[in-house]
Amino acid sequence: MGASVAPEQILKELAALWVDSGKQGQAEGGTGVLRACSMTLLVLAEAREDTQSLGETIAGLMPEHPARTILVRLSGAGDRSLAERVYSQCWMPFGQRRQICCEQVEITASDAALADLQSVVLPLTVPDLPLIVWCRSARLAQMPEFRQIAEMARKVVVDSVAATDPAAMLRRAQDMAEHGVMLGDLAWTSLTRWREMLAQVFENQGNASQLPHIQSAAVEWGGSRFAPAVYLGAWIRDSLAAVDVHASLNISRTPDGDFLRVRLTGDEFAAELVREDDRMVVTLNGASQCTNLPQPTDYLLMREELGIVRHDPVFERTLASAARLAHPIEP
Amino acid sequence: MPIENPFQDPLRFERRVPECAVVIFGANGDLTKRKLLPALYRLAYDRRLSAGFAVVGISRTPMSDEAFREKMLEAIKQFSEDTTFDADVWNAFAAGLFYVAGDIGDAALYENLAGRLAEIETVRHTGGNVLFYLSTQPSQYARAAQGLGGAGLGKGSGWRRLVVEKPFGHDLASARELSDRLHESFDESEVYRIDHYLGKETVQNILAFRFGNGIFEPLWNRRYVNHVQITGAESIGVEGRGAYYQEAGALDDMIQNHLLQVMATIAMEPSATFRAASVRDERSKLLRSIRPMTPAEVRQNTVAGQYGPASIGGEDVPGFRQETGVDPQSQTNTYAAVTLFVDNWRWAGVPFYLRTGKRLAKRVTEISIQFNPAPLHIFDQDGGESAPNLLIVRIQPEEGISLKFLSKRPGSGMMLRPVSMDFNYGSSFGERSPSAYETLLLDAIIGDATLYTRQDMVEASWGVVEPIQNEWRETKADFPNYPAGSWGPAAAGAMLARRGHVWRKP
Repeated sequence: MGASVAPEQILKELAALWVDSGKQGQAEGGTGVLRACSMTLLVLAEAREDTQSLGETIAGLMPEHPARTILVRLSGAGDRSLAERVYSQCWMPFGQRRQICCEQVEITASDAALADLQSVVLPLTVPDLPLIVWCRSARLAQMPEFRQIAEMARKVVVDSVAATDPAAMLRRAQDMAEHGVMLGDLAWTSLTRWREMLAQVFENQGNASQLPHIQSAAVEWGGSRFAPAVYLGAWIRDSLAAVDVHASLNISRTPDGDFLRVRLTGDEFAAELVREDDRMVVTLNGASQCTNLPQPTDYLLMREELGIVRHDPVFERTLASAARLAHPIEP
Repeated sequence: MPIENPFQDPLRFERRVPECAVVIFGANGDLTKRKLLPALYRLAYDRRLSAGFAVVGISRTPMSDEAFREKMLEAIKQFSEDTTFDADVWNAFAAGLFYVAGDIGDAALYENLAGRLAEIETVRHTGGNVLFYLSTQPSQYARAAQGLGGAGLGKGSGWRRLVVEKPFGHDLASARELSDRLHESFDESEVYRIDHYLGKETVQNILAFRFGNGIFEPLWNRRYVNHVQITGAESIGVEGRGAYYQEAGALDDMIQNHLLQVMATIAMEPSATFRAASVRDERSKLLRSIRPMTPAEVRQNTVAGQYGPASIGGEDVPGFRQETGVDPQSQTNTYAAVTLFVDNWRWAGVPFYLRTGKRLAKRVTEISIQFNPAPLHIFDQDGGESAPNLLIVRIQPEEGISLKFLSKRPGSGMMLRPVSMDFNYGSSFGERSPSAYETLLLDAIIGDATLYTRQDMVEASWGVVEPIQNEWRETKADFPNYPAGSWGPAAAGAMLARRGHVWRKP
């Protein structure tokens, strides 16, 4: 057995960190530091992942979702070992004299030590605030130990796009959901603006009157867009079925790179949404409109997910359908 | 009956503007350039406008659609404070900007407007929905509403709404008369009286704070609250608006609308639901419960002030009477402080002190609720400090909530010191807060009147302010009575001192 970590020692280090930050803040002529915390965020990432980029993403999330962050870096095979370090993430809001700080704990864990992770993380969670797990490791998401970690959390966020087998990931996610885990999937989150644009088409009562005449929905995808394509198809089919419109659904792959296109077709109606670089092009009965749609970053997607710490009925319904749909159309 | 949209997902989707045309009277004015167009552009930037959206600007200056777009482009570039300019977003937005020239008193304007709206509906598919925004001189409100009604524009195939900026009259009678004139063309439910204070995030947050938490409401009454101070202070003077301000004054310009609305929000009874009618009923009820003052009470419980010249930070600043366009003998109040009482079971006997003024020490708007002291001071004999518990709701500039309480000073002995527990809106939610006009325009277009002022609320406010106006009009004040850059006249401090209170210095 290799190194180990003691949660009580980490808590002492965190307390000392606040005393030091407070002294430093006052010495610099400010009015001390303000501790901000709305949740515990447990980030599970492979050790090989770019530390700086991930650190920047987490730091970006803190002003809106201040959290005690526990970053677990998965070192893979090897001895049963855990190691830790503690630091804070501070920022000075524009025009103010007081720094806002959040705590960060970094733990390195080998696969063999994953079984011990729960006993380390639980004492470190901030009392009375939700624990959110963000699993960035597709490998871990498929491991049996992940179930135990997920059970600690109020909400678990995964990313089916990153999975080596996205169809299996969708089924596993649905299985966890059926066992009461509140889930988020960044593959679904990345579709919010798409879905919003499609919904907007039917805010027009003229277009809404065409709903009963929609006969087919087609989703084309390329590259790594399999999971978003299945979600989109499932959502469209379920949404139409909710108003008693039973259109055919076709989800097909194109040889293009990362690509997604959706088409709804009826007797006298055709709507198409397709991304072109940083633009979404909505074509309605031949007339196109272009709107700004930047590529979603992990920061933007997680920002949205952290804002929803409650059941999301539309996602839950769609996940169940997507898991069923994914089976016969494996990528 | 509208067809249900099965694709909506309110948990994730932002509120969006439905298809409509926004017609702005006074399109060449400051408010349009500084606030309205930047707010609408921001909504476009955030993808909240539907494809069927259009803006029709109206003013007297003859101008083509293209020239109007150019003018608005300049305004957006100059006044959009925290929005990046995006040429593609602008091009799509600008395609929906149109202009009609004409005089508000001229029936031909409304005929032209009707024709233009019909054309725009065909091209932009605005669904027949129109929001008329009166960003004109208040004296034009009634004429504009009558013109719209006369041309049949008050009704149409879609919804019609009328947004009116303050002031809503200059006393009770004129407020009633204005409402009567507006109601000739629009139902009360279609009239949206805008008070931009109510669109501020922190004012809305008062409702969340009071009615979303269980721990504060039990303290929110005469048993625990000692008094309430509401401050709306400005550090600037009249900034070239001397001629206008001379006619209004601090009492009419701030207390009658903004501060009384804030007071209503802080003191109203819990609303049964968060529906517009329910929230507005409670606000209105509170305003009607404010005790009107007799002339003798006005003399005791109000203070008028006017700033005189002073040197601030080495810079000489003029007094109000020295400002451009101001009568050198002006009796206009640039400062007003009032003590109000609410005659209901919750607040009986609790003073609400409201103050506002120009050229005060700093720009700040806040509500300070002072709680009663602990019934027994067991630490006094040990040299402990005593300070009241204060709950401070800061509306601007740093939006947030602070709770001040006593804590033991570290070390041996029982020495107490006041400490502050702060919730800072900007740093706790790093997300950009929408401007008040973004919030209120979106609300009006969606048809949510929760943050708008209803006729009965306006009348109740004038019912509070009018006795003060009448008494002040009868009395020749000894102005100026406070130097620019101070916290106002000494008499305002004396008004609180009579009840053993002092103004907080924010």
